[in-house]
Amino acid sequence: MVEDYLKEDKGFSPRDVMEEASRCLLCLDAPCSANCPAGTDPGKFIRSVRFKNVEGAAETVRENNILAGICARVCPTEKYCELACSRTGIDKPINISMIQRYITDYESCTHMSVLKKAKANGKKVAVIGAGPAGLTAAGNLALRGFEVTVYEKESKAGGYLRYGIPEYRLPNKVVDEEVKRIEDLGVKFVFNTKVETSKLLDELKKSNDAVILALGFSKGKMLEMFEDNKKVKLAVDFLKQVKEKKGRVRVPESAVVVGGGDVAMDVSLTLKKLGCANVTDCAYEQFCEFRASKKELEHTREAGVTILDGYIPEKVTKSGQVTFAHRVIKSKVVIKAPLIVLAIGQVSDFSNLGIKLEDLNDPSYRIKNTNVFYAGDIAPGDKTVVYSVKTGKEVTKAVMSYLKMEVK
Amino acid sequence: MLKKDLSITFMGVKFPNPFCLSSSPVGNCYDMCAKAYETGWGGVVFKTIGPKHYLIDEVSPRFDALTKEAEPFVGFKNMEQIAEHSLEENLADLRKLKKNYPNNVLIASIMGSNEEDWEELARLVTEAGADMIELNFSCPQMTSHAMGSDVGSNPELCKKYCAAVRRSTHLPFMAKMTPNITDMCDPAIASLEGGADGIAAINTIKSIINVDLNKKVGLPIINGKSSISGYSGKAVKPVALRFIQQMKTNPKLKDAEISGIGGIETWEDAAEFILLGCKNLQVTTAIMQYGYRIVEDMKDGLARYMEKEGVDHLEDLVGLANKNIIPAEELDRDYKVYPVIDTDKCVGCGRCVISCYDGAHQAMEWNKETRRPHCNTTKCVGCLLCGLVCPVGAINAGERVLKEGRKPKNLKKLVLQDSFQKL
Ligand SMILES: Cc1cc2nc3c(=O)[nH]c(=O)nc-3n(C[C@H](O)[C@H](O)[C@H](O)COP(=O)(O)OP(=O)(O)OC[C@H]3O[C@@H](n4cnc5c(N)ncnc54)[C@H](O)[C@@H]3O)c2cc1C
Ligand SMILES: Cc1cc2nc3c(=O)[nH]c(=O)nc-3n(C[C@H](O)[C@H](O)[C@H](O)COP(=O)(O)O)c2cc1C
Ligand code: SF4
Ligand code: SF4
Ligand code: SF4
Repeated sequence: MVEDYLKEDKGFSPRDVMEEASRCLLCLDAPCSANCPAGTDPGKFIRSVRFKNVEGAAETVRENNILAGICARVCPTEKYCELACSRTGIDKPINISMIQRYITDYESCTHMSVLKKAKANGKKVAVIGAGPAGLTAAGNLALRGFEVTVYEKESKAGGYLRYGIPEYRLPNKVVDEEVKRIEDLGVKFVFNTKVETSKLLDELKKSNDAVILALGFSKGKMLEMFEDNKKVKLAVDFLKQVKEKKGRVRVPESAVVVGGGDVAMDVSLTLKKLGCANVTDCAYEQFCEFRASKKELEHTREAGVTILDGYIPEKVTKSGQVTFAHRVIKSKVVIKAPLIVLAIGQVSDFSNLGIKLEDLNDPSYRIKNTNVFYAGDIAPGDKTVVYSVKTGKEVTKAVMSYLKMEVK
Repeated sequence: MLKKDLSITFMGVKFPNPFCLSSSPVGNCYDMCAKAYETGWGGVVFKTIGPKHYLIDEVSPRFDALTKEAEPFVGFKNMEQIAEHSLEENLADLRKLKKNYPNNVLIASIMGSNEEDWEELARLVTEAGADMIELNFSCPQMTSHAMGSDVGSNPELCKKYCAAVRRSTHLPFMAKMTPNITDMCDPAIASLEGGADGIAAINTIKSIINVDLNKKVGLPIINGKSSISGYSGKAVKPVALRFIQQMKTNPKLKDAEISGIGGIETWEDAAEFILLGCKNLQVTTAIMQYGYRIVEDMKDGLARYMEKEGVDHLEDLVGLANKNIIPAEELDRDYKVYPVIDTDKCVGCGRCVISCYDGAHQAMEWNKETRRPHCNTTKCVGCLLCGLVCPVGAINAGERVLKEGRKPKNLKKLVLQDSFQKL
């Protein structure tokens, strides 16, 4: 029901967080800290919690990651910090994300403001795209005195944080709060403005010391056989619609989801929560090679979504009858449903700017011989929020060294 | 549950098992004590009964707990005095308990402010049917300085009041000691000289448990203020054991019968008190936190321990550890023992390295590549701090070496502990 879609899971209580923090071994050269792409130091902030210094913990977390409250909720920690956790040698890793969420919730409840506006340094940067990469870059530049303007085609900031990840995993209220922090640092946002031609881009290049592209992979992938089929929706479009309408979306009795990543899990679980009784997800991957995080897979299965692993779509009729074939074994599945959602990946959408994705592969995050930089999903590396934070931070440094400024 | 005879005779009275409620709110009225007996407690020390003229007027709230990490009750502070019920009600409860539970032991705890009070109270509880009496010389938060721990720290008063009680009862009685004193032997000896048959130790330790940082008042806060008062629970066990051992090794007290109190939660705690010479055990804080039911595992655990030790009578375990507590100057200082690391168990947290560097002798070294520790024996002094901090118990006593210039001895025969952590 709509309430299920809107409700986030409960966070830790003060006692829970202390119990979890006491499980932490307080490691010497904390392997968790070494394994965070964004440079978060769980070894340090968990120790602060353990020694009753939650405010200090909030400072550690926030100074490093301007989107810490969001990362606490959506980071696939099982692939990063928790993967490295020493405690695994005893039982199971420390629940680092939940501890971080406790800290950032505390920070927000007590209205702490860790980050302070900096003195202007006289330099101007334009950021295109207000997803996690653009937000991180903008915030970090503002912290160093840059005059930053973010151009965003939507009417609000967040990118997939606001328009993709479902409300029950990441409430928009949290996105609002984190964006507000960045605004408070003096970052200007220009909404409903798509930078869609190379002419517009050229103007920005001229009027700014640097331009950062943080455009993300804003289009859902399509398969030829599904094109122009009225029963078919792209996952990111569907999720955007549901999130914008706060879950008040009519869903049919049954639906088929195609894909085996986190986006497919999000679509399946959202459908379930909104009352779609029969959700069948057909994934290209077999379970042994599944891409979706264990946690998301588990939640989706618990909700009663049927997952058929190893199946690829072969054909589809206008009336919504899809035939899937197994990649390995001899097996076919035919499902007819009034709604088919494709969650087979996202692609970039900036060819109008005269830039090719292949050009964006330099470790300096700069397009050769220009003052144009890039970060986030369009940069090389994992396609996750924490990687966007990482590249958002790194691109800040790249801009500074390009402008021959001292990088601290 | 293992069936085993846990009975033991203490001050001439046979207890079905050594576990008793200590005098406190856990034995405040008939219903509570009855439930405790039904749950399996061998005896009850009823909440301390005071003289009629001493009016009890308690504060609210009256407790606080010391916590550590997620542990809610490391230690416990209370600001309670003695029984809140009227003397008549208490005596009626004693009578009813004895009538309905003739096989369980009923101990009356009393406290007077002068010789007449003590005589009178002893007579009244004897008439009410108590099997023995405990004299409360030790409550640290009485509103009268003629009562409580001010008495227990004054051997002359202890002796005088014991003599008064002796005059008015034929029952065995023990004097309950206060730990708010350097040497408990003096008041204990004085009490025996006054006629006491045994000693109970310890009562609570004077304390300030926590201070509220905003209001700048100790806890608990009673309309803006707080007071020094008694501390109990797990954290006081080491202090209690030390006093008991000191009494048991004092020539004048070595045969004294002792009821051990202070931080008993498990059968292991209980067995420790027994091995240091107690024939009887009393509990409050653990009951306040977990309820009477904890006695089930105490009894069962103690029975299994007896089984492993091959003894049929609890008596046979009493005081076995006393002889192994000796003065520091008599300890064997000829050897040291290096840590040995079980690499299968080690999870690579590096805590041993941190503690050895910051709290010992910089001997535990860290291999950054393998993320595993190893001990540099040229620096190691064998303190085994590392063994205590290791979260998985991977560090134990390993190679033993003779210190330079010491007479050779068979190091294989050294007796060392099995593990450096009590899990
Ligand atoms: C449904 C879903 C669930 C996900 N769940 C997780 C998760 O749980 N954990 C995780 O780590 N990652 C998750 N991801 C991936 C993660 O959201 C992305 O890796 C991340 O958002 C990329 O950040 P970005 O800033 O590069 O791009 P985006 O978030 O895509 O933001 C790009 C922004 O740029 C704007 N824009 C694009 N083109 C223009 C233009 N020409 N002019 C102006 N504005 C423009 C867009 O409107 C958008 O606001 C998920 C993705 C999806 C789709
Ligand atoms: C709330 C409370 C009230 C107590 N009241 C008495 C009392 O009336 N008489 C007494 O002799 N001891 C009293 N005590 C002390 C206990 O009997 C016992 O000696 C002490 O708490 C140590 O044991 P423990 O660690 O098992 O609690 C009280 C203790 C507590 C916690
Ligand atoms: S690796 Fe795990 S146990 Fe070690 S400090 Fe990090 S969270 Fe704690
Ligand atoms: S025994 Fe003491 S000195 Fe030796 S390694 Fe361990 S902590 Fe260090
Ligand atoms: S404390 Fe124990 S687990 Fe941790 S590194 Fe040392 S031996 Fe290994």
